[in-house]
Amino acid sequence: MASTTLHSPVISRSLRQITGNSLTWSRAFAPDRLLPAVSHSSPLRAVGGSVITCTAGTAPVAAANLAPGTPVRPTSIMVIGATGTLGRQVVRRALDEGYDVRCLVRPRPAPADFLRDWGATVVNGDLSKPETIPATLVGVHTIIDCATGRPEEPIKTVDWEGKVALIQCAKAMGIQKYVFFSIHNCDKHPEVPLMEIKYCTEKFLQDSGINHVVIRLCGFMQGLIGQYAVPILEDRSVWGTDAPTRIAYMDTQDIARLTFIAIRSEKVNGKLLTFAGPRAWTTQEVITLCERLAGQDANVTTVPVSVLKFTRQLTRCFEWTNDVADRLAFSEILTSDAVFSVPMNETYQLLGVDQKDILTLEKYMQDYFTNILKKLKDLKAQSKQSDFYI
Amino acid sequence: MTTGTAALTSPTTAGFALRSRNGITTDFTLNPTLSGFNCGTAPARRRLVLSRASSPSPPPPETTGKSPEDNNNVNDDGDGINVEGDDQKGSSVSVIKRLVDANPVGLGRRSRQIFDEAWRKFSELGQISRTSRSDDESSLLIQEGGPMCEFAIPGAQNTTVLVIGATSRVGRIVVRKLMLRGYSVKALVRNADQEVKDMLPTSVKIVIGDVGDPATLRVAVEGCSKIIYCATARSSITVDLNRVDYQGVYNLSKAFQDYNNKLAQLRAGKSSKSKLLLAKFKSADSLNGWKISKGTYFQETVTAKYDGGMDAKFEFSESGDAVFSGYVFTRGGYVDLSTKLSLPLGSTLDRYEGLILSVGGNGRSYVIILESGSSANTSQSNLYFSRIITKVGFCRVRIPFTSFRPVNPADPPLDPFLVHTLTIRFEPRRQRPSEALAGMSQDLRSFQLILEYIKALPTGQETDFILVSCTGSGIETNRREQVLRAKKAGEDSLRRSGLGYTVIRPGPLMEEPGGQRALIFDQGNRITQGISCADVADICVKALHDPTARNKSFDVCYEYVAEPGKELYELVAHLPDKANNYLTPALSALEKNT
Repeated sequence: MASTTLHSPVISRSLRQITGNSLTWSRAFAPDRLLPAVSHSSPLRAVGGSVITCTAGTAPVAAANLAPGTPVRPTSIMVIGATGTLGRQVVRRALDEGYDVRCLVRPRPAPADFLRDWGATVVNGDLSKPETIPATLVGVHTIIDCATGRPEEPIKTVDWEGKVALIQCAKAMGIQKYVFFSIHNCDKHPEVPLMEIKYCTEKFLQDSGINHVVIRLCGFMQGLIGQYAVPILEDRSVWGTDAPTRIAYMDTQDIARLTFIAIRSEKVNGKLLTFAGPRAWTTQEVITLCERLAGQDANVTTVPVSVLKFTRQLTRCFEWTNDVADRLAFSEILTSDAVFSVPMNETYQLLGVDQKDILTLEKYMQDYFTNILKKLKDLKAQSKQSDFYI
Repeated sequence: MTTGTAALTSPTTAGFALRSRNGITTDFTLNPTLSGFNCGTAPARRRLVLSRASSPSPPPPETTGKSPEDNNNVNDDGDGINVEGDDQKGSSVSVIKRLVDANPVGLGRRSRQIFDEAWRKFSELGQISRTSRSDDESSLLIQEGGPMCEFAIPGAQNTTVLVIGATSRVGRIVVRKLMLRGYSVKALVRNADQEVKDMLPTSVKIVIGDVGDPATLRVAVEGCSKIIYCATARSSITVDLNRVDYQGVYNLSKAFQDYNNKLAQLRAGKSSKSKLLLAKFKSADSLNGWKISKGTYFQETVTAKYDGGMDAKFEFSESGDAVFSGYVFTRGGYVDLSTKLSLPLGSTLDRYEGLILSVGGNGRSYVIILESGSSANTSQSNLYFSRIITKVGFCRVRIPFTSFRPVNPADPPLDPFLVHTLTIRFEPRRQRPSEALAGMSQDLRSFQLILEYIKALPTGQETDFILVSCTGSGIETNRREQVLRAKKAGEDSLRRSGLGYTVIRPGPLMEEPGGQRALIFDQGNRITQGISCADVADICVKALHDPTARNKSFDVCYEYVAEPGKELYELVAHLPDKANNYLTPALSALEKNT
């Protein structure tokens, strides 16, 4: 990790007790100015020497509730990362179940109108600019955090600094529940920056003393569409690795559904849940499935994992390619024949969910291909022009 | 950011975009060499700068508007919105595309796209739990109400729903649920303040109006196929209650029926909404074909002793009314007024769901008897009866075919297709003194019935008008009476309107998420529990396309859950779950037209 000069001080495993450097932000974000309500639960001031502990919060949540003012309705929730793959399903589910949903989105030239169209309230804010956060949290009962930085930006800004700011804000403002989406096995792979960050955030959340639920996820079925299904349909080359890693993909709509069951269940409070799909798949298996359903062979470009690893090592040599290195970091995991899956029986039981209701990848892909092939057929029937690419 | 998948955001351009990219990318295979990757990183970063910079200034050849690529450059994380492309767009885009390909800026952008695509593919390999940005055409199917979305409802696209009380506790959720399912939604609001607008999703069409003002409603119902009424008076002042809960429902159902009738007229009575005229009593001629007969239920000669005599006549009065009047003093006697139905060619009664009679009575009850069977051989007919009660004065009575019971219990249920004879019978049995004439001495054995018309009500598969009423529990006792009176009057006016209706009477509303607890559907005002607003909204939305919900009124509340340790029964029912339809089984057990 020596070469990752930018990141290692903050997020290396040895510094799991979040240390010195991470405080640069905390100091800038002077608690007394912005969050005068925090008196005893000051994670920020506890920052004596080198260790942030959020353990000060033993009673503060209850205390925050007793504060005078309009009581916060339990149906009011805030979704962070609402435009993302999982986030939008969470928003839809919440709206459908009758929650009042507020979405924190970054100000952008083309606003996320679809959220407003569904009936959610959109507030502008940016986790990487902590001063924009507190105002958006007024009147919120539960925060559901499905945000992850975009691939092209440095991991640290949103996923670590932003989240820390958010959790501290939530804490200070008496948010009554915080739901955090993490990655399965993130505690076992400290060498992957994103997983390390997620793990540290989990810890930070636990120490903060907020009522929380941590949900670890394995993989989204929705992601497979763009990665395999679409390229196969288009006769483009599919890029796969020869890694034996297995992932239990899950439908984001199922994740959203289970999440809301978990939020409402008192039994789940403060627990760590892992959601995994019904079966773990290797890349090869997924490609085979897609080929079968599409009725055509895929043009597979297999990239050996060693190449990925090598690229990562190489990109880490230069500071300006560090982001790229972080993005390739999962290759470390791919080399091991890790299985990203957990038995779900206990979770189903805890949440009172029937296993039959969880969508399998076969069914999901089948639905997708049936629909898309029908749609493509309609498109072909509509257009008289057969040669498209002149 | 995936500039490569730019054009995929609009459905019609999808096919073309796949190909154009395909033509180039297939030859492109990345050679996993050292230099390849090293270079790869630089453009990956520079790309950001470039695409952002290029977004404000439109590329030279495009004068018609934004090209798809440009669109996507602005929307830089690609996470955006599906721009619904119209049909012409596909061809114009392809022209633009050709131009773009020809000029150097376009070529540059193009090659950058290709490289980005390859690099993105490569770097995606290194990630397992991140998904690619969902701006590809998967969004067509999964995201915005496509078939793979769990909320999608077939037919929602062609349905416009007018929501009254869209800012109320229930209405707010109703609107969101409708939007999620892809309905077009109109909302009637009294004023379109910013505050009100903020409460509603942006693509809800706002109509300004007031349920108390029939003129505004005529505009509001235009183009709507369904109405959900969840407004209620904000105060318990009788005037307010009357205006919103009674007159409002009356005005709106009238406006909607008028609108439907207008459509029906446009189609010259061929519309599925038009009623079928069976008999209209406008002139003396119209009385032809109606026969009067007398009879008794007792066959024995003994009864002759008690024969007080009976008489009846059906005549056209000077005032222009067809009057059926007479008296029956004989015990067990009755008089019938019957006719053979002559339906217009091509129409059969099975396309109708009931009869509507416009009559002016004096509070007596009558029995309507339908004879069904082969019209050639009337001796084989089955008889079916249904009792109606008239008011003092004119009223319209709806008699659904489902309410007819066979005279001989062994007969099969009524098949409207086979009905050939209609009889109106008066019998002195089971007559109740009319309340309106209380105090006056009423002879229950004499009767007078003015007939105006008899029509068959067209059947409809679905409900047209959903009214959220209340059961009265949870309202303070001193105002419950007047609230209920207004609500009841509103419900009645809706039932009489001839629209397919669903009246939902929820228990006290609670603001909590829906779908949590089992629901009880019941009729007869026996429920005790509350219900969440979201569940009521869900029932409204589900009832829209549910044939079993048509012409039903029902109460609904949470299932009673005993304190732990005090349970009497074990809970066997399951909570409503994914995509299930709890409404149909629940409602199919309930009575129609109550």
